[in-house]
Amino acid sequence: MDGVRVGKRVIGAQAPVTVGWENIPRVEGGPMKQIFFTWFQPVMLFALIAFWFYAPNSIAKASTAIWIGVGFKVLLLGLEWLTPRHESWRLTWKELTTDLFYVGLGYTALRMVDTYVGDGVMIEAIQHSLNWEKFAWFTGLPLLVQAILISFVFDFGQYWMHRGMHNWGPLWVTHAPHHYITQLNINKGAVGNPVELFLIGLGVGGFFDFMPRAALLAGTFGLAVATYQHINVRFNTPRWWRFLFNTTEHHSVHHSQDFEASRSNYSGTWIIIDRMFGTCVDGEAELLGMEGGRRMSVGETMVYPFTEGWKTLKAKFGARRGFERSHSGTVMPAE
Amino acid sequence: MNTRFLDWIWHVRGSLALAPGQSVDDAFDRLDPLFHQAGTSHDRTTDTLIFRKKDQAAQDRMSVFDGGILRIERDVAGLMLRYHLTSRALLFCFLAPLLFLGFAQATVILPKIFEPAAETKPKKPEVAKPPKKLNPIDAALGAPAPDPPKKDKKPGEDDKKPSPTPGYIFAGIFAALYVIGRILESRRVKRLFRKSLLDA
Repeated sequence: MDGVRVGKRVIGAQAPVTVGWENIPRVEGGPMKQIFFTWFQPVMLFALIAFWFYAPNSIAKASTAIWIGVGFKVLLLGLEWLTPRHESWRLTWKELTTDLFYVGLGYTALRMVDTYVGDGVMIEAIQHSLNWEKFAWFTGLPLLVQAILISFVFDFGQYWMHRGMHNWGPLWVTHAPHHYITQLNINKGAVGNPVELFLIGLGVGGFFDFMPRAALLAGTFGLAVATYQHINVRFNTPRWWRFLFNTTEHHSVHHSQDFEASRSNYSGTWIIIDRMFGTCVDGEAELLGMEGGRRMSVGETMVYPFTEGWKTLKAKFGARRGFERSHSGTVMPAE
Repeated sequence: MNTRFLDWIWHVRGSLALAPGQSVDDAFDRLDPLFHQAGTSHDRTTDTLIFRKKDQAAQDRMSVFDGGILRIERDVAGLMLRYHLTSRALLFCFLAPLLFLGFAQATVILPKIFEPAAETKPKKPEVAKPPKKLNPIDAALGAPAPDPPKKDKKPGEDDKKPSPTPGYIFAGIFAALYVIGRILESRRVKRLFRKSLLDA
């Protein structure tokens, strides 16, 4: 496999990756199907923005956002079932059940941890020490500007955390289990070790004060844009969208079995952040995962950062100790 | 104790009649490709095939099963394929509701353990936030103005304590998923064996 040169890197030398938007297939089918899969993403985004902008205060609440999120994901699961992007990514009972297990952990155990030691505590501590008068300028901005700033600042933090995970061993061992997924489906974003999900959830966006409605609008970018990172549906995504926002195509490159390709497209929502820092690769991949597509079990996912961390420490310090012992003539040198 | 009263939770048993005239070797030859998947090992004797799977791919059509025995026996009606498969996924899905009920109970119990300590700490004075006003552009576009801050706030009203409800909901989801999976997967594997045996 030759791969394709993108900047200083060669993408697709180890596993197949399609590079360049012009090489990505479009939705096949009649005119109605074409219209639906061309307009679905922008129409849903603008409809949700309009809803949160105009909804009465009695409706514009976090609980409504949760139920809209659940409904939207059920709708997308339906689309996955009706028109899968790749037959090899089709959702099975086992995959759905496993994905929902991680989603469930996020809503229960992780939320509990977050309340006592996560960003919930940090946000409370920081918010208590802030001079709110200094933030009045922010809450006075138009709602959509606030929402875009909240979403962008949060994603900017996530970008660097995610990039750090791909570049520093101690963070990588927490993130690696997520890269063992071999297909993209709606709930695959939740699959991973809880330590990683905790780290990636540490957002700086929550430290600011903002209009509650702006936070709900910011959440809409997460729901109506970032959700498409993990989906088994092909869309004719508009050019402006894929320039600004992350897409299934971008994220499939990130999950490719090709090492260089996996070191790209780190942002969650705003792919423009990757463009800013030169880590964006426009393209797509079907063959995903690690170790040739080995599926990591839930049990291994839970312990992987600790077992791998232990192995690394043992290799580093154990080897040194083994060497010292060999000089005292008691133990053979470690290999 | 007869474990069959319990092991139906994660054991799937079934049987299929072979086509008239089909030999044991021919039947196993047709089933053979199902066991040439990544992470699958198998041993075949004259009338028995034993397989085991580890880290099987999501794309494996038998990925829900971790091992099993397929045996071809002579019955009054002719040759029969009898299979006995095991699935950790089914077992864990069966147990998952208990885990999520546990999480739900923990969300009820943990605040009771941590709150008394918190109450002894001196309460930080509430930081006064300036009243929020809608930007004129939003007002012109017709966005509803934010509600004024409540004057008679009850103590702890703003506390974002986790609720046990998601735990109960996920317990219900996994109970439903188990029932669906137990029925669906045993039918799917039977259909898969039948199709493999009959395919030309």
